[in-house]
Amino acid sequence: MSIVVDHLNKQFKVHVRQAGWLDAFRSIFKREYQIVEAVNNLSFTIQSGEIVGFLGPNGAGKTTAMKMLAGLLHPTSGAITVEGFIPQEQKAEYKKMMSLVMGQKSQLIWDIPPMETFLVNKAIYEIDDNSFNKTLDELVALLELEPLLNKPTRSLSLGQRMKCELAAALLHRPKVLFLDEPTIGLDVDTQEKVRRFIANYNREHKTTILLTSHYMGDVTALCKRVIIINHGKLLYDGDLDVLTEKLTPYKLLEVHLPTLPNQSWETYGEVDSIEEGKVTLRIPRERIREVSARLLQEFPVHDLNIQDPPMEEVITLAFQEKSHG
Amino acid sequence: MKRYWRIFREFFRTCLVEEMEYRSEFIGNLFSSVFGIGIALLTIQIFFYQTDQLGGWSYADVLVLLGIFNTLQGFIHFALRPNMARITQHIRKGTLDYILTKPVDSMFYVSFRHLVFWRLIDVFLGIGLIVYGLMEKNYVPTSGDVLVFIISLIASLLLIYSLWMMLMTTAFWVIRIEDLSFAFDSFFETTRFPISMYRGGLRVVLTYILPAAFITSAPAAALLGKWNMITTLTSLLVAGIFLWLSRKFWKFALRFYTSASS
Repeated sequence: MSIVVDHLNKQFKVHVRQAGWLDAFRSIFKREYQIVEAVNNLSFTIQSGEIVGFLGPNGAGKTTAMKMLAGLLHPTSGAITVEGFIPQEQKAEYKKMMSLVMGQKSQLIWDIPPMETFLVNKAIYEIDDNSFNKTLDELVALLELEPLLNKPTRSLSLGQRMKCELAAALLHRPKVLFLDEPTIGLDVDTQEKVRRFIANYNREHKTTILLTSHYMGDVTALCKRVIIINHGKLLYDGDLDVLTEKLTPYKLLEVHLPTLPNQSWETYGEVDSIEEGKVTLRIPRERIREVSARLLQEFPVHDLNIQDPPMEEVITLAFQEKSHG
Repeated sequence: MKRYWRIFREFFRTCLVEEMEYRSEFIGNLFSSVFGIGIALLTIQIFFYQTDQLGGWSYADVLVLLGIFNTLQGFIHFALRPNMARITQHIRKGTLDYILTKPVDSMFYVSFRHLVFWRLIDVFLGIGLIVYGLMEKNYVPTSGDVLVFIISLIASLLLIYSLWMMLMTTAFWVIRIEDLSFAFDSFFETTRFPISMYRGGLRVVLTYILPAAFITSAPAAALLGKWNMITTLTSLLVAGIFLWLSRKFWKFALRFYTSASS
């Protein structure tokens, strides 16, 4: 077992105040605090070499949980072990086998080329010349860093910088990798490249990866398993496919026709969208075969596609699930 | 120890590379340093038009003191100031996250990561001023004087570092204070003149509560042959205690780190 989280809690004391002059003045003398439960009784385990997507709406407690796993924050109660270490003890041995990448914060030194940051990390992680060169060569090849290494970081694009961030975080070959929004703000093409890199890296090195992302593409491409939390509580932990089936009892049936007959589609199923030459219907899972057969029989169908509803929709449903009850 | 020396060398190198990006600043800074020391000399000259003693210190003595002040200021601006000013930023913006995930002492990292080389000019100008002051007084320090001087200078640097570090560590609680460094600067400015020049309550505070008295006056007195071993060792001990305190305080404060959200 690589990561074990057991009944984890984290509370923050937050200073609350209303807007306005009077209250600003009042808060100088008397402050009101509110306890916020950022993470609430969270338990899960992750196997070595697994990639797990860690999902939840903004403010759900993902980043807080991840920071506790990385040893930055002390839990209010509960226990964490990662590869046998207790993160908040901040042991050097632990830090040498894990890495944290945050899409929103940079560890690269701004005014000078990324190579300089790599060299600083080499000294800090005590990487010997041989393994450093070997790892760097591999990362340079995989991430296509060659032309970037000697340009000042400030002149790199966001995508180029993110690739260098990943390289900087992986030089010491961590066994556990925490990725917090690694693709945020990147264009589709670069997102795709970063994803492919993460997938490859995980396959090659059996690195345990916990990933948060707002892009469902990241999650569907990388993670078989997801952990979903909201308001700091666990909502779902399991297979992504099972989640889809459980939450959305229908599939999307895309029917391509040369000309759309002017008729009501409601007899077949709920209409999702109608475009030029294409109708998309929502059909309950158990009726898919029957409806497809009927459509094929009754219309000169060009093409017929059966799809799962988009991940965004599934996740939105997942977030709503428990907040009712 | 060897490992930290290697990391420090790495910091040194990256900072050098960083500064080479902005070479043209060097000339401007040299000019401003020379100008700064000129103004300080002028101020002292004005004082000594009125009197021939400042808190029991003669003109040449005060020159030596000012030289030490400048040397220390050079060191401060070389290694301390660039780092201390950043601590609040690290905490406020959450970049401390990366430092805390590195297998390196976080206090060491935040203290020495940034170095500003051209500030070493002040160290050399300061040493020049010390030599000039000694020549003016016609005093050649004995090797004992120099040894005690070096010890007390080290004690001063440790003391300055610890006090500043403790001040900046409070940023874990009072995150919004933008520039705590200014508070330190005002304190350090008081050491530009002999401690005996201050009167009453202020002097008590500067001697016993914030030990400014040691910072410049002790090394200056040492170089002028007016030292005794007990005072010197006391200042080293006091510096050691403050260093230990600042370290304890930093470790304690880390537990309260909340890390800015992403």
